[in-house]
Amino acid sequence: MAKLVLKFENSVLKEMAVGSKEVSIGRSPENGLVIDNPAVSHYHARVFNEEGRLMLEDFGSMNGTFVNGQRVKMVTLKPGDSVGIGKHTIVVSESRDLDGFASGNGSAKPAAPKINETVMLDTKERREFLQKVAAVGESSQVAPSRLKVPTLIVRKGRTNQCEYALNDKLTVIGKSGMATVKLKGWFAPKAAVQITRRDDHSYYIGAADKVPSVNGQPILHPTILSSGDIIAVAGIELEFVYRD
Amino acid sequence: MEIEFGAQSDTGCVRENNEDSYRVVPEMNLFVLSDGMGGLESGEVASQLAVDTVLARCREAEKNPSLPLAGERIEGVSTASNQLASAIRSANEVVYRTAQQGAGQRGMGATVVAVRCTDERMSVAHVGDSRIYRLRGDEFEQLTRDHSFVAEQVRHGKMTAEEAASSTMQNVLVRALGIEPTVEVDVSEELLMENDTVLLCSDGLTRELSDAQIAAVLGECEEPQATARRLVDMAKQAGGGDNVTVVVLRRAAKPVGAIARIGRWFKKSA
Repeated sequence: MAKLVLKFENSVLKEMAVGSKEVSIGRSPENGLVIDNPAVSHYHARVFNEEGRLMLEDFGSMNGTFVNGQRVKMVTLKPGDSVGIGKHTIVVSESRDLDGFASGNGSAKPAAPKINETVMLDTKERREFLQKVAAVGESSQVAPSRLKVPTLIVRKGRTNQCEYALNDKLTVIGKSGMATVKLKGWFAPKAAVQITRRDDHSYYIGAADKVPSVNGQPILHPTILSSGDIIAVAGIELEFVYRD
Repeated sequence: MEIEFGAQSDTGCVRENNEDSYRVVPEMNLFVLSDGMGGLESGEVASQLAVDTVLARCREAEKNPSLPLAGERIEGVSTASNQLASAIRSANEVVYRTAQQGAGQRGMGATVVAVRCTDERMSVAHVGDSRIYRLRGDEFEQLTRDHSFVAEQVRHGKMTAEEAASSTMQNVLVRALGIEPTVEVDVSEELLMENDTVLLCSDGLTRELSDAQIAAVLGECEEPQATARRLVDMAKQAGGGDNVTVVVLRRAAKPVGAIARIGRWFKKSA
């Protein structure tokens, strides 16, 4: 029995055996093999067995179906063929390893594939995919700010230091024991404001006991801080800068 | 600091077994939830191993703070956060080893979300597509970022949020416990204020209900156990296509005495 392996770039998304029943391919959820992408027609193509041969037929799709780079209408498929639909690829192979995959050591009966089962991207493919994603992420990062130290400079009011380098993922401004920027005075709030660092190294300010303002605007939702922003809360003013 | 909590787990309306697990340790203010995957019963095994290992390692670290961490220390976060991340890395090793040994358990893995509160500092750690949300006043925020294929596509601008919501690839993860010998754990820290409500949930909840629906329930309900039950009921009414598990916690407000009330009045007018 043949199987179809749906891939996107280097990631394996799905594997499906083709038995006596045909497999329809398209964007519409009624298809046997759904490819959710605007480049794919709702009913794009089908794969079916005819007299022991595996056939592929394009349903006159808008963007076409390609086998090994050639646009096709109806062809016989053989193991190793690569079917191109939009940016996705379907590789044709023997389904031996699919059975093996489902049953582990091969002694158990293959479990029926469950719909919507959570799966991992295949590990080797995944590593390549993640590397690629990481590369994209790196290149789109604003490089200069990453090398600089995010710092709060006290412009107005009484605190325990006149400057704070933000090294932690969580920075609290208030009277609380865990506060980095310590407020003084009887009625100072325990935790007025929190600043959190996210995984992309950006810093977000959010309200705690008090609603702070940044450049005169009240902060009702967590908001990203930029160099030069003036934070005002509980009687103090701080400037957020990226220091060299 | 007093934390009230509630939890509810349900197989849902479609699946035959519940592959979700959760554990709560009130004396440590530790809350852990895991969603298992893999054929036969390996999903259930994976999620139970994950939550039990996280608990065991956190307890050990609590008793003996000089225990070495599994993996590298993360800079800029507390010891408790590092212990939590370390416990999750250990859980990964345990699930991975079990998956390698057991027959018919290929594809075995699990997500994990965990919260530990030490004073007002809340450590948040996760791997996979289970989520943690916080409601503070009217502000509802997702504190975790899904390690799923579609979420990564959205973050890198290759897919819109709408495309992701209707994608057939929602079930594809890029990070989970038990898949590789080591795993990267995302850790962040948040402030836990009085009356903050925090929700840990498996994707069985978020596939059925929108953020707005979830936020509304968290905002309306007073008692965490009632909130948990209501969320699970709503997810089942909406289809219940997957196992649904939620853990809800809320930092209780201190009873307000006369002097404190005067203090508050002063603060407001300040």
